[in-house]
Amino acid sequence: MASTSLQSALTPAVETTEPPAAPAGGRKTWRKDGRAAVLFLAPWFVGLVGITLGPIIASLVLSFTDYNLLSDPNWVGLENYRAMLEDERLHQALRVTITYTVVGVPAQLVVALGLAIVLDRGVRGLPLYRSIYYLPSLLGGSVAIAILWRLIFGTRGLVNQVLELPVVSDLAGLVGLTPTGWISNPDTALWTIVLLHVWTFGSPMVIFLAGLRQIPAMYYEAASVDGAGWFTRFFRITLPLLTPIIFFNLVLQVINSFQSFTQAFIVSGGKGGPADATLFYTLYLYQEGFKNFDMGYASAMAWLLLTIIAGFTAVNFIAARYWVFYGDE
Amino acid sequence: MRTRRRTQLRAASAAALALALAVAAGGCGDDGDSGDGTIQLTFTWWGSDSRHAYTQELIDMFTAEHPNIEIQPTFSDFDGYWDALATATAGGNAPDIIQMEERFVREYVANGQLLDLNTVSDVLDTSQLDPAALAAGEIDGGLYTIATGFNAFAIVADPQIVQDAGFEMPDDTTWSWQDYIDLTVDISEAGGGDYFGAQAFGTNEALFNIYARQQGEALYNADGTLGFTAETLAEFWDLALEQIERGGTPGPEETVEIGATGPDQSLLATNRGAFGTWWTNQLGTLSGSAGRELVLLRQPGESTGVQPGMYLKPAMSWSISANTEHPREAAMFVDFLLNSPEAGEKLLNDRGVPANPTVRDAIADQLPPAEQQVADFMSELAPTLGEAPPPPPTGAGEVVDIMQRIYEEMLFGNLTTTEAANEFIEQVQDAIAT
Amino acid sequence: MATNELLRTTDTADSYRGPRRRPWWQSLLIHGGLVGFGLVMLYPLLWMLSSSFKPTDIIFREPGLIPTELEPGNYVQGWTALLHPFHRYIFNSLVIVACSIVGNLLACSMTAYAFARLNFRGRKLFFAVMLATIMLPIHVVIVPQYILFNELGWINTFYPLIVPKFLAQDAFFIFLMVQFIRVLPRELDEAARIDGCNHWGIFWRVIMPLSMPALATTAIFTFIWTWNDFYSQLIFLTDPDLATVPLALRFFVDSQGDTSWGPLFSMSIVALVPIFGFFLAGQRYLVRGIATTGIK
Repeated sequence: MASTSLQSALTPAVETTEPPAAPAGGRKTWRKDGRAAVLFLAPWFVGLVGITLGPIIASLVLSFTDYNLLSDPNWVGLENYRAMLEDERLHQALRVTITYTVVGVPAQLVVALGLAIVLDRGVRGLPLYRSIYYLPSLLGGSVAIAILWRLIFGTRGLVNQVLELPVVSDLAGLVGLTPTGWISNPDTALWTIVLLHVWTFGSPMVIFLAGLRQIPAMYYEAASVDGAGWFTRFFRITLPLLTPIIFFNLVLQVINSFQSFTQAFIVSGGKGGPADATLFYTLYLYQEGFKNFDMGYASAMAWLLLTIIAGFTAVNFIAARYWVFYGDE
Repeated sequence: MRTRRRTQLRAASAAALALALAVAAGGCGDDGDSGDGTIQLTFTWWGSDSRHAYTQELIDMFTAEHPNIEIQPTFSDFDGYWDALATATAGGNAPDIIQMEERFVREYVANGQLLDLNTVSDVLDTSQLDPAALAAGEIDGGLYTIATGFNAFAIVADPQIVQDAGFEMPDDTTWSWQDYIDLTVDISEAGGGDYFGAQAFGTNEALFNIYARQQGEALYNADGTLGFTAETLAEFWDLALEQIERGGTPGPEETVEIGATGPDQSLLATNRGAFGTWWTNQLGTLSGSAGRELVLLRQPGESTGVQPGMYLKPAMSWSISANTEHPREAAMFVDFLLNSPEAGEKLLNDRGVPANPTVRDAIADQLPPAEQQVADFMSELAPTLGEAPPPPPTGAGEVVDIMQRIYEEMLFGNLTTTEAANEFIEQVQDAIAT
Repeated sequence: MATNELLRTTDTADSYRGPRRRPWWQSLLIHGGLVGFGLVMLYPLLWMLSSSFKPTDIIFREPGLIPTELEPGNYVQGWTALLHPFHRYIFNSLVIVACSIVGNLLACSMTAYAFARLNFRGRKLFFAVMLATIMLPIHVVIVPQYILFNELGWINTFYPLIVPKFLAQDAFFIFLMVQFIRVLPRELDEAARIDGCNHWGIFWRVIMPLSMPALATTAIFTFIWTWNDFYSQLIFLTDPDLATVPLALRFFVDSQGDTSWGPLFSMSIVALVPIFGFFLAGQRYLVRGIATTGIK
């Protein structure tokens, strides 16, 4: 499984040559740590074994069956996995989801980080701006989003009204932007959902803000003594010390984005249309499992997804060794 | 040979299956009695706030008459409903009384999850019901669900727009599909973009069923196979595309956009279209949103084809879980819902025009105007209707999505109507085979 | 205790950020940009607010921002139209949210401390397993979960929604806190150790106070995500007496098109108040984080 590569990738990023302020006692602390670890991990471990692991393993087993929710499952071996090879809708779903992840995640993180940095500086009324920018993320899965998205990107929506203004239409025409039904045209529908994703940048922004606040002041004080300017401080202190948080956002956003469901469900009314243009992987999986009563196949799909996500995450962890800096190293 | 391989496979995988079986076996649903002799039933339905409110009143009325029965309600919106029901069923925890939908009946019946209502016929009286109410639930000699009431798939028209455009309301007893398309094109022209002749058709499998029946075919045969030819479907889609291309409706993009919304955001509801195809029970919402009176018309082609194609569709239906511990009490409640005029006064037409003619007559003068129109339309229609269609095959729930998907591909020019028809048949056969 | 001297509460915003005074035109530019951007962000909310005051029938006929007809009755109707008054659903949601926050704060931070600061056998493996648990879509695990909770007799109780939080089953927050803890210099732990603190002492007296921003983030997100979480509440809570805010909002929705939009939007606005309030309160802890001054 991918977890082995993931595991090997999980060695602490930025291995420094000299051991970091080595805890006194060497081996002894290791053993002492072990005992403490048992205590600290106890709740998590109990939950893992008692609640989480069972259903996960069950889904793996069910992926080798024809489970339809309403009757006992029958073993079908690798049949579900073989069927996935020929399932064109599944391939379409993969294309959609990967496009969305590869474009949407970096775009959202750049916006979130940029705004977090702007909003972290001394501007009057900052808490207000921060809160306002966070509002769209609060709306979450509200059905209102679907209606709004149509009011904005529909054939008669705001975007087209702007594009039809005298001067704007000429300028837009130069770059090939002409009014269309942005959410109903299969060529553009996915991009409106990517935009929706970027628009709800509130969560990573808040995490970045918290990260900026967690940076120990002593580093800045030292830099001030050296007479470093804002620019130097930002690139020598802020950015490097923020890398663990950037890394966190990247890893988690990739994981979440592969499982992206709600936004596409709401905007397309659960269909993934037009013509499967917004058929996200989990949306298709959900349709297969619950609407078409093929939970066996849906489970197999889920395990393929897990493998893919684990692969991406492993790559992230491997790459992190070269760019993430931890204060505890 | 094949069987032996299967047995081997099973033996080899027994251990791994144990867990999955445990999963499927699920709980043992100990929601039976509460010790003091009170019988507890669970009852689930989908809908919105007004339905939740009056259904609770129905429960209270019934339990007041039967103090030994308690009914625990569960309700949600349509999408969440099926997930919750399937999950609860998987957990061996299915509610006793279930509001069902035509397209999912076979799925539940095939897996033995619904009670054969013939076994409780002593308390559940079906003798007064419209035969069409039972047709939908008669599967393999059993009776698994009974229609709550009926809808018909009809044309809804806005006489105001037709008049504004300078036309007369059409005669729906004689009009053909071509008449319909020509009229909508003319109205769009008169509207100059402010309003359109119609909202496009072509994604709805019920409408295609009507069209196919008019040609002497049907969407499904009684044995669950497909009852139409690719030519008929291609013809149907040719008509739909002709209407769009000639401007009788908004263009492809707006068509997809509007198609994705409910009736309250449709062209008719926003005073931007003269005609649309809707279920009769949606008339109230449409007129309410439109803020003016809309009227029901028969579908085109009813008199120009081989036979009339319109039919009464069960709006939804009542079923009882096969695993209920109290089939008799559950059946008594269903009987109350179907046959009691007092229950009818709460239900009115909300779950379709009632399946019991006595109830239908009892509530006739209590209906709001739009519902009154629906009731009148349905009773006028009834004598001219063809035979009720058989219950759709297992997997029919997928057909709606398949139809929409292929229709959209076709709309954006990725498929010709003939290719689309063949593709549709292939995918539907795939879906209902499993 | 010497450890306390290591920590000094400061308003870091003033101690090291750039000069506050800038020319008026620059301020104008910055605020203009921020306000303009804010309006784009706010548009949907304003639309929902305006629609919540319109009669349901005209919401789609007149989708503009300024209502031509005011219908404050939506709020009354929304509050009372369901089986229970709306505050009942808010109360149910608040119970779940409050327990979830306490659970996540305690359990996830403990787990995170172990992963971030302790050396133990199998750490990397456990960490990978932990991350893997959030890589499966909920739709395939919810049925086995339902069966499990049904066996435990937990269906139609809040346990399925709360207990996992106390058992640190939300890897997102564990990983979040691991990353935040790892930013803190280890010298702090060492100093505390020299002062005689054991791991619990370091965790409780050093790491937790320094992790205020991370804890605030965890609390805020737990609140919002639990408050908005529709799916698991739909599956595990079928008794209308236990319904939560997202479930109650769906009670207004009808697939046949008879959705009560007015009451739906008005109650959606009401439902936003607690999360927005909590966000406003919580973000103060993000801004005024307790920062270390370090060891000289």
